[in-house]
Amino acid sequence: MRAGGGGIVVRFTLNGREVEVTTRPNATLLDLLRNELKILSVRRGCETGECGMCTVLVDGLPVRSCLMLAPQVDGRSVTTVEGVGDPERLHPVQEAFVEAGAVQCGFCTPAMVLTAKALLDRDPNPDERTVKEAILGVLCRCTGYAKIVRAVRLAAERVAGGVRE
Amino acid sequence: MSSSSVLEEIRRAEEFLVVGKGVRRIDALDKVTGRARFTGDFVLKDALHVRLVKSPIPHGRIIEIDAERALSLGPVRFFTAADIPGENQVGYALPDQPLLPADKVRYVGEPVALVAAPDEDLAEKAAELVEVRYEELPAVFDPLEAMERSDVLVHEDRGTNIAEMTRVRKGNVERGFEESDVVVENTYRTGHQEHAPLETEGAVAIPDTQGGVTVIASIQYPHLCQRITARVLGLPHSMVRVVQPYVGGGFGGKDDMGPVVSAMAALVAFKTGKPAVLVYSRRDSFTSTCKRDPSVVRYKTGATRDGRLKAIEVQIILDSGAYANRGPYVLWRATMHAGGPYEVPNAKVDGFLVYTNKVFEGSFRGFGNPQVQFAAESQLDELAERLGMDPLEIRLKNLLRPGSRTITDQLLESSVGIYEAVKLLGEKTGFRAKWREYRRERAGRVRRGIGIACGYHGISTSRGVPDWSNATVILGRDGSVTVETGICEIGQGSWTAHAQIAAEVLGVPVERVKVVGGTSDAPDTGATHASRGSSIGGIGVYVAARRLRERLADAAARLLECDPSDVEIREGRAFRRDNPDDYVEWEELVQAAYGMGYEMSATGYFFLPKGKFDMERGLGYAYPAFSYIANVAEVEVDLETGKVRVVRVWPALAAGRILNPVLVEGQIEGAIAQGMGYALTEELKFEDGRILNPNFTDYLIPTSLDVPEVEEPIYVEDLYEYGPFGAKGVGEMALIPTPAAIMNAVKNATGVRITEIPATPEKVYFALRRAGVVAGE
Amino acid sequence: MLPEFEYHRPASLEEAVRLLSELGPDAKVIAGGTDLVVKMRAGLVSPRHVVDLSRLTEIRFIRDEGDRLKIGAGTTLWEIENSREVARGVPVLREAVEEMASWHVKTTATIGGNLCNASPAADAAPPLMVHDATLVVVGPEGRREVPIGEFFTGPGQTVLGVGEILAEVVVPKMRRGQGAAFEKLTVREGALSIASAAALVEISGGRFVDARVALGAVAPTPIRALKVERALKGRPATREILRSASREAKADIKPITDVRGSREYREEMSVVLVRRALERAVERAGGAWA
Repeated sequence: MRAGGGGIVVRFTLNGREVEVTTRPNATLLDLLRNELKILSVRRGCETGECGMCTVLVDGLPVRSCLMLAPQVDGRSVTTVEGVGDPERLHPVQEAFVEAGAVQCGFCTPAMVLTAKALLDRDPNPDERTVKEAILGVLCRCTGYAKIVRAVRLAAERVAGGVRE
Repeated sequence: MSSSSVLEEIRRAEEFLVVGKGVRRIDALDKVTGRARFTGDFVLKDALHVRLVKSPIPHGRIIEIDAERALSLGPVRFFTAADIPGENQVGYALPDQPLLPADKVRYVGEPVALVAAPDEDLAEKAAELVEVRYEELPAVFDPLEAMERSDVLVHEDRGTNIAEMTRVRKGNVERGFEESDVVVENTYRTGHQEHAPLETEGAVAIPDTQGGVTVIASIQYPHLCQRITARVLGLPHSMVRVVQPYVGGGFGGKDDMGPVVSAMAALVAFKTGKPAVLVYSRRDSFTSTCKRDPSVVRYKTGATRDGRLKAIEVQIILDSGAYANRGPYVLWRATMHAGGPYEVPNAKVDGFLVYTNKVFEGSFRGFGNPQVQFAAESQLDELAERLGMDPLEIRLKNLLRPGSRTITDQLLESSVGIYEAVKLLGEKTGFRAKWREYRRERAGRVRRGIGIACGYHGISTSRGVPDWSNATVILGRDGSVTVETGICEIGQGSWTAHAQIAAEVLGVPVERVKVVGGTSDAPDTGATHASRGSSIGGIGVYVAARRLRERLADAAARLLECDPSDVEIREGRAFRRDNPDDYVEWEELVQAAYGMGYEMSATGYFFLPKGKFDMERGLGYAYPAFSYIANVAEVEVDLETGKVRVVRVWPALAAGRILNPVLVEGQIEGAIAQGMGYALTEELKFEDGRILNPNFTDYLIPTSLDVPEVEEPIYVEDLYEYGPFGAKGVGEMALIPTPAAIMNAVKNATGVRITEIPATPEKVYFALRRAGVVAGE
Repeated sequence: MLPEFEYHRPASLEEAVRLLSELGPDAKVIAGGTDLVVKMRAGLVSPRHVVDLSRLTEIRFIRDEGDRLKIGAGTTLWEIENSREVARGVPVLREAVEEMASWHVKTTATIGGNLCNASPAADAAPPLMVHDATLVVVGPEGRREVPIGEFFTGPGQTVLGVGEILAEVVVPKMRRGQGAAFEKLTVREGALSIASAAALVEISGGRFVDARVALGAVAPTPIRALKVERALKGRPATREILRSASREAKADIKPITDVRGSREYREEMSVVLVRRALERAVERAGGAWA
């Protein structure tokens, strides 16, 4: 396939829903999500892949949406924090973030929550080091990461506990 | 109600329902679900996107600005100093800083013009096409050089590059050194630090129908933002409305930059009649916002054989960059804290704030204090070594206690918990045993060390600079509670603390309280800086809520047919103390009070009493109260590479009442991480005034894998008479002693004193080489 | 803001080669985007065409072929880190990849991208160099094999011609008696290397039968430390010999001073990293010190 300056149609799954949008080929996935689809929880950070604020999950794995071209998500599945839980039905990770006091300014929180979810989906019982490695790519200037790490492990305990019951 | 009686009452209270508890943040749900909105999310239809045209040179006259090519691209608008309708002045301490310079540029990255266009790409392209012709001027980058030179002046009209001088003269230092058995003298250097909030600076300005403007911005002080924006636009303050959305971190930087960025966006909105959005790129945030002042501190300390401090002589030189901004205040704070939290009978301190042709400096968590505490606390360890003492011993001998006097000769009558905090910290960490063991061992490639450092920090503004608190509390007819404050929520959790204070005083669950803050629509509460958000800011909430509580007790007494003093209100019910079954529900009570004609809103204004300060000698009343901190850090040093890893930090805090331990821990953990970055990895590199690493690839803030374990803090609740429930400030505290604690631990591990931060692996390696601890390869 | 370009997503490697040959130097290849998008945003490149290889499953594989491993150039670093074949056959590559960047980058960044970007600090290169890997290049003239040591020609430069694509990396697997290790130095976790080193040794009868050492970030390209290798081969496997051989690294490298470190520091650290990599490689080779 090829597409020029005019526009390119991209079809993908966003938070479980099929979407079809026309976008510029030189738009990034971040541009597509924020500007076209108004998903504002995906933050515009450094736009050079350094800070992790624009994290989304593509086919369940965390990626930097500022480094992916919009046409590259064609046919794939994208998850933003809106697809993880809402105030009425929080995901265990979100619950744990609230309870552990893992939230300060909240700018990195969606990226952290998404990363934690992706981690727990693969590894339901990560040790501290594994959690720290997973969130290495998301910077946080407020918390010193301590309560974020604790929240992820708290969420793991809860989820694992649920399975055992 | 006198303030001392309030403190008595608080002291008598045996338990609190909400205060002191790890109450959940009131904004947590918005943030974990991604619903929280930040400045850049408010892009309105028809909005113009604004971009900066920045100076590529460090010093030069503006000869001509040519926007013809930029304007030819399409619907592009262009603004320079000439377009400013009001006063082109955003200086803080001194009137030295234009919003956009008319005559000359003073640093690489200085915004010289603004470009606006309906789409971002067009604005960016247009900004690149603006051509500015300069006549380059010789530039000066080193503050030590700048203070001696008069041929190269950053601000010609001032006749010198020294922007401000400060001094403290206490006792007689000559005699103090004569009476000393040991004297230690060293020079310490600290580098720039970039705030690096993950949300960059930004503002959205929306013109209103009456010729004014509403600004939504990433700020720390709405009323300052209002004043400066109004000044630039030439409008009465009342015509500028400022609202903060959620703010993605501040750390002081947005106190300074908020008004500047707001004024830029407002200028575009005002001139075009359209909404204007200006969000700094990460690069802009590096090149064109204030940083922590780099410093050179020359420090001489004398003590007697038994370890008592006799005298200090300190020279502090702060590099202010191109503008003074907050520098004079930063310098004052550094000057008055130069002795550390110790009794020093004789002190001579001289401070200099020096202009250079680099990006300007400003407010940053600690505000001049981390620079001097790094020196003061390093000195103390060097002194202890000369005396054959351990670091804990020398500190315990000299720490401030109730009844002590500071180096400005201020008498500290109460609320001085540092001695107890350090004592407890020493016991908890087993400091002495570890310190001796690590010093004895010193073998192998990776060495372990432990270090301690203390700090103190005046709460509120310095000297006689007026400070106050203010808030409005409104009870809705349905019993809901609204707190209006100018304090900003920048991640620290002040609004949650405010809700706790209101809930505790009124006797309702926290969930009933809504906080509307960070807006010029609320009373001017002063800035969210100087660790004053929850403490000073909370006083107004406390006072206002007390007023309502008295009215409600009165109303309840009429309903319950008893004396108001017999009424208790808690957990959403008012009842007779002698008969809890005789009660009215909260909603019912509020409605009845409305019906009886009670005013169900109240303001709580409180003007902080302050003493006199003699500027000539630098003596007198410096701050209404101090918070205190001590950190113990344990490190590992890889001798072959010079890499320092901080393994663990134990904090101890004496900051009065801990209103919410979860929030306080968050502040401590974050401050330690930021202090560690400052001490070890965060290095802004310059070449001819240009920043070589304006990005997160090479300006290295700590990641999840770098931060140490932070142990549960020790709290000494040394209540402060005017603080809400006795609380003092917390936000800045744990950063202040962190660099010194780490470098003292490095010394314990290696025997080598590092006097310059950031202590990157390369710097530590060559310091170890110079000291002969390692040989070259 | 990214420059305007035409986007192409070829369905096969063959189509990709044809496209790139037709479009010429105005075309750039994208896979993970971790290099190209950053460069485009910085204005360092503004291609008129971008050819997306991220969907080419034919260059995304890890195959065990007995004594060697074949890794498709489109394989992500995350897949390499999680591959049992890589962990068993080329553990030093896994070690390097583990310490590279973040999970978020590794899920899209590819091994081919890391090599073709040709950063002097590319961390995947030294391990592949000590394994004497061969790169398979596909182009309009067909396939050709390039030893990895000849692939890099300068900072950001490789032997790839117009229309050529790096298709796969062929890596001889570790043999019994061999041991390898990777070391790198950064100011902070996840940051770019100040210097890095990989070592592979084979010890038999108390002697270094084979020794290969490669370094990153200390020369215009990742390089083999031939002087170090010569000082080891055939000599007894003692700590003293290893130490003095490591010092030869200074003669093998040509470091510069940049924002990450000075020339002097890189010189010293090259020796340290080479020594540490060699020491661990010897331990892993199971060979006791002579």
